[in-house]
Amino acid sequence: MIWLTWRQSRIKAASAAVVLAAFAVLLAVTGPLLASMYAVSTLGTCQGDINACGAYADDFLQQLDASHGGGLILGAGTYWLLYLLGFVSILVAPVVIGIFWGAPLIAGEFEAGTHYLAWNQSITRTRWLAVKLTLTGLAALAVTEALSLMEAWWATPISLAVARGACCSPLAMNQFSPLLFATRGITPLGYAAFAFALGVTAGVLVRRAVPAMALTLAIFAVFQVAMPLGVRPHLFPPDHTIAAFSSFDSLDVPIENNTFTAIPNGWGDQPEAWVLSTGAVNTSGTPVSAVPADCLQAIQAASGKASHPALLDCLTSHGFEIAVTYQPASRYWAFQWTETAIYIALALALAGYCFWRIRRRLS
Amino acid sequence: MTAVIETVGVGKRYGRLWALTDCTLSIPAGHVVGLVGPNAAGKTTLLNLATGMLAPTAGTIEVLGGRPAAGPAQLARVGYLAQRAPVYAGLSVADHLSLGAHLNPGWDADLARSRIERLDLSLGQKAGTLSGGQCAQLALTLAVAKRPELLILDEPVASLDPLARREFLQDLMEAVAEQGLSVVLSSHLISDLERVCDYLIVLVASRVRVAGPVEELLATHHLLSGPRRDPGTLPAGQQVISASHTDRQTTLLVRTSDEVLDPAWTAAEVTLEDLVLAYMNEAAGRGRHNHRLEAQS
Repeated sequence: MIWLTWRQSRIKAASAAVVLAAFAVLLAVTGPLLASMYAVSTLGTCQGDINACGAYADDFLQQLDASHGGGLILGAGTYWLLYLLGFVSILVAPVVIGIFWGAPLIAGEFEAGTHYLAWNQSITRTRWLAVKLTLTGLAALAVTEALSLMEAWWATPISLAVARGACCSPLAMNQFSPLLFATRGITPLGYAAFAFALGVTAGVLVRRAVPAMALTLAIFAVFQVAMPLGVRPHLFPPDHTIAAFSSFDSLDVPIENNTFTAIPNGWGDQPEAWVLSTGAVNTSGTPVSAVPADCLQAIQAASGKASHPALLDCLTSHGFEIAVTYQPASRYWAFQWTETAIYIALALALAGYCFWRIRRRLS
Repeated sequence: MTAVIETVGVGKRYGRLWALTDCTLSIPAGHVVGLVGPNAAGKTTLLNLATGMLAPTAGTIEVLGGRPAAGPAQLARVGYLAQRAPVYAGLSVADHLSLGAHLNPGWDADLARSRIERLDLSLGQKAGTLSGGQCAQLALTLAVAKRPELLILDEPVASLDPLARREFLQDLMEAVAEQGLSVVLSSHLISDLERVCDYLIVLVASRVRVAGPVEELLATHHLLSGPRRDPGTLPAGQQVISASHTDRQTTLLVRTSDEVLDPAWTAAEVTLEDLVLAYMNEAAGRGRHNHRLEAQS
């Protein structure tokens, strides 16, 4: 059965190998260039902690942005594009696998009627399905995780810059940001397993490869949107704290009809935490939005400009602070494991359903 | 007489539609059994139940004394050539032989290779480019080379041209003679089966209308023609299968184990085709009759 599975899927395996190899060559060529760029940058040569080198970290990331200066050999914008390409590849790999490996795996046999041939050899259809699912499923996991690991290796200088205090470049993403969280660590494994099992199940139910592919895409897209927006923030109860205005890298305070909203950026105290929501509170911890009378004068002095130091100072003098609802950075791996476990459990449940259906109910 | 397929009240429902209802039959071993019936009689459903491709909704079915597709051992004992002889279009003939060798412990590689050579199939050719007849031959090779005790074929020649039909059936008979297999093959065309079967089962609307060795069926059925007469006046041992009347003449197909002695009749030899058609018509007539009764009540 292992032979047959390999024989049936070797073209798919070869195309996956070609894609992986192309990705690997691209990263292997550009990775060392990026690393040497880092080594000679002001950040790379800066010795010291965040306070000493934080400003250089953003400088380095801006070097990689298209609008700033040239790179060493490649144009600088290339790295930004490669970084994005890496994310897109890792995000898309599971669903591509689900569509092109999962959906036709069984539906293709049904369409061609070849399950009549396969199921009448001297091997039970449970074993037939087990071998097909295991081999193809493991390949799906391996391909996706390989992409993720290669990308993480390539982006080491960018991760270093973020860890050393970069805050304000579009490349400086928080580890909990949907893009980074879904492409690093072990979550790609969960997505790959789920997308593959989803494709197989859709194929078993619909019995036609193309509709099963469409169904796989639609359902997986719903999950990938619902998970980061609706489920992930609630996996663990968030922490609450009150932080001074000064603990943020910057604070916008737009004013409308004498009420203000505080929009903080970059939480210097816990730069790697996942901030879920923020809001201004007074000394007793009650949310506030009305601008105190004396501060209105400060605004007039500042001609209504938001974030003017005078306004911030005035609000601070009233004892206003920012209430932060957040997930501390220390929970990163708990989030990674939990989310991956959820997806793996879903994948196993779907696989179990396929076994039951193929054994009992199949026509 | 041991049975290769034994069913008791077996039925299969798809949603609200019954493809087979309350089917009870026993197919004896050591024969080439023709399973004949009109389209939608439930032949394919019955064979799919016998190979475990389907699970029955009602009743029980045993094949070679075991539950169909119960495990590798049971699967090894039954060869199945499904309708339209599915093969893997992307795999070569040689790949199919490897498939058979990998998935069947009892695989007879010499038999498979010699069959492929005799059939003039090239090993490297992709199965998707084979003709209908060649596909059927390849699928038969797979089914035969696993050395089953029972070979089940569902409409094996339906999609073949007359020449390929003859070749396929001849080839099948050689394999049967060499290996001493029991065979069950279905068809809605009696002419396909006439040449190869020695046992016949007529299945109409899930019911077995008649079953028995071909020779015995031919010996006990008579086509009688004579002056017009009410079939009800025949002797007790004579069962009328079909009757047709003109103003003066009556033609009957009767079943009897005794000789027909009445000198008023001219008795003629019955062909297998006449016999099968008579049973199919009888069933159809009875169906209409039942329907009328239901409408009245």
